[in-house]
This record gives sequence, structure tokens and C-alpha cells, in this order.
Amino acid sequence: MSRTNLLDREVGRAMSTLSAAAKQGLGDPALAELVVIRASQLNHCAFCLDMHLTIAREHGVSEKQLGLLSAWEEAGDVYDERERAALALTEAVTLLTGGTSQAFGSGGGFVPDAVYERAARHFDAPRLAHLVALITAINSWNRVMVARRIPPGGYTP
Amino acid sequence: MTTHADPTTTEEQVPYAPEHTPRLNWSAHAPEVLKAMLRLDAAARKGLDPKLVELVKVRASQINHCALCVDMHSKDALAAGESVERIIQLSAWEESAHFYTEKELAALALTESVTVLTEGFVPDAVYERAAAHFEEAELAQLIAAITVINAWNRFGVTCRLVPGHYRPGQHA
Repeated sequence: MSRTNLLDREVGRAMSTLSAAAKQGLGDPALAELVVIRASQLNHCAFCLDMHLTIAREHGVSEKQLGLLSAWEEAGDVYDERERAALALTEAVTLLTGGTSQAFGSGGGFVPDAVYERAARHFDAPRLAHLVALITAINSWNRVMVARRIPPGGYTP
Repeated sequence: MTTHADPTTTEEQVPYAPEHTPRLNWSAHAPEVLKAMLRLDAAARKGLDPKLVELVKVRASQINHCALCVDMHSKDALAAGESVERIIQLSAWEESAHFYTEKELAALALTESVTVLTEGFVPDAVYERAAAHFEEAELAQLIAAITVINAWNRFGVTCRLVPGHYRPGQHA
């Protein structure tokens, strides 16, 4: 059985506005793509991965940074401390349900103080609020795409 | 300091733990994001039964451990005419199917799978069960509504927003 490709026009517009506001407030397009791709990996969103790999390359994110993203914690200086803080927050905010993830030691669930405080050291309050918004926005896109099983490849720059 | 009365004993009242303060007042730092979220929330509710929306919102908020959202949507559900029993049973809905309609059960199953994406995809059986009870446009709205409460949950949990102070209708 094929799945619906419907998305209410106003829902789609509001989601686009949300994403644009989050990216604008974060003010770091390359970092934004690392965050968005990592969340899409965790949520298994093929459409989103395809789309954001393309956008990340447009923003000059290196092949090494893209390729090692699912193992960023083990990747040494491929990512700087600010990027690593943002990726740790991305994982925690994406894995709220807990479950089997070992990604940040607690087994998932909640956003650990250490993860939050690490992010707060690298991002001032307005940027942190927009980083949380960006992680939330891509989690939203991941959900509407995976639920409807939208195939990858539909994005053109 | 909050204390709780126990009518069965005269022993000294034991105070509850102190209330925490939020980590971050995100909407003050990102008012345009809040505006987009409110617009998104309103758009995703269109065409859906308000009581069903609250059941979905409570269940997703339970799975994501969002204290503020559980507080808000349990109260909103009650205000919308929902029963205490159906709200209490939500965390064990698969074992209390006779509290809910088949359509509500299909919506709750979809809510769980769309919320727990990190554990893997939305199974065909879950999608098809929902598609059997919701016509296509309504199903698209249900997916949107599940997505939106997941978004609110992320702000609530990450910023550690404080539950207990919500009154139904205060944001109306």
C-alpha cells in the first residue's frame, strides 16, 4: 500500500518558517547542516539525508565531516569543540524517548545536565534557543517524511 | 515551600522537593520561532477531533517525558470533556483497548511509531491501521499533529520548562 504524500499547505508553510527562523538565528549554515544531518541519521529519514547532504556540500562542509558524522564522538579533531557540543545536544534532544541508545551514556531520555551545559558554554542564550529550535525543526521534518515514506531524491537545489 | 496534607494522619507534613527553574526561556530569545510554532500548531489541528488531538498530545508527551506538556494536555483533555479514566489509561492503552474506539487506538499506535523514530521507521501495519480509520486528508493532519506535539515536547524537555501552573484556556 502506498502512503499519502499530502501535507496541508499551511502546515508546510509554518514548518518552513520555523526552519528558516531557526537557521537565521543560529547564524552558522555549515554547523546547521551537521546538526540537521545527524538528527536525520538518528531518525532514519532518507529524504532529509539526501536533501541536506546536497545543501551541506553547497555550504562547503567537507566530505570528511559528512562521512564521519555518525561516529563524530570517535572522530577526534574532525569536529571542533563547538560543533561537538552542538552534536551532543542534537543527539540528546532527538533521543528523548530513551530506549536502546548509548549515545550519551544515560541510555537516552531527557537532556542530561552535562550535555545542556556543554552547549550553553559554546552558544549564548539566543543562539542556544535557535539551536534547540533547529534540532526541533529537523525532527519535525523527519517525522512528516518518514511517516509518509517520502522517497529520497525529490530535492533539487 | 509546598506541603501536602494527609487526611489520615496528624504526623508532620513532609514537604515536596523544591520547584526547579527553567534552563532557558527559549521563546523570549526566539519570539519568531514561537510565532511559527503557534501557527504550525493551529494548522495541524484543522480537521481533527479536538478530543483525539489531546489524547495524541498526552501520549506523545508521556513517551518524550515532557512534564509541562503532560500537565497542559491532561488539563486540556479534561476541559474538552475527556474522562479521567481514559487519560489515566493512556500510558497502558494497548492493554486497555476497551476504553477507546478503534479509530483512537489506530491513532495512538501511529503516535507511538512516529514519536519513537529512532527505534526504526513507521511499520506498514501501523500505517495501514491508521489509513483504515482516517481518510487521506485527515491522516495527513494526524501525522502533522503528532509531529507538532513532538516539537513542543523538545522545547519543553530541553529547556526544562516547569509543570503545574497551566490553566486550560490561558493561551486561548
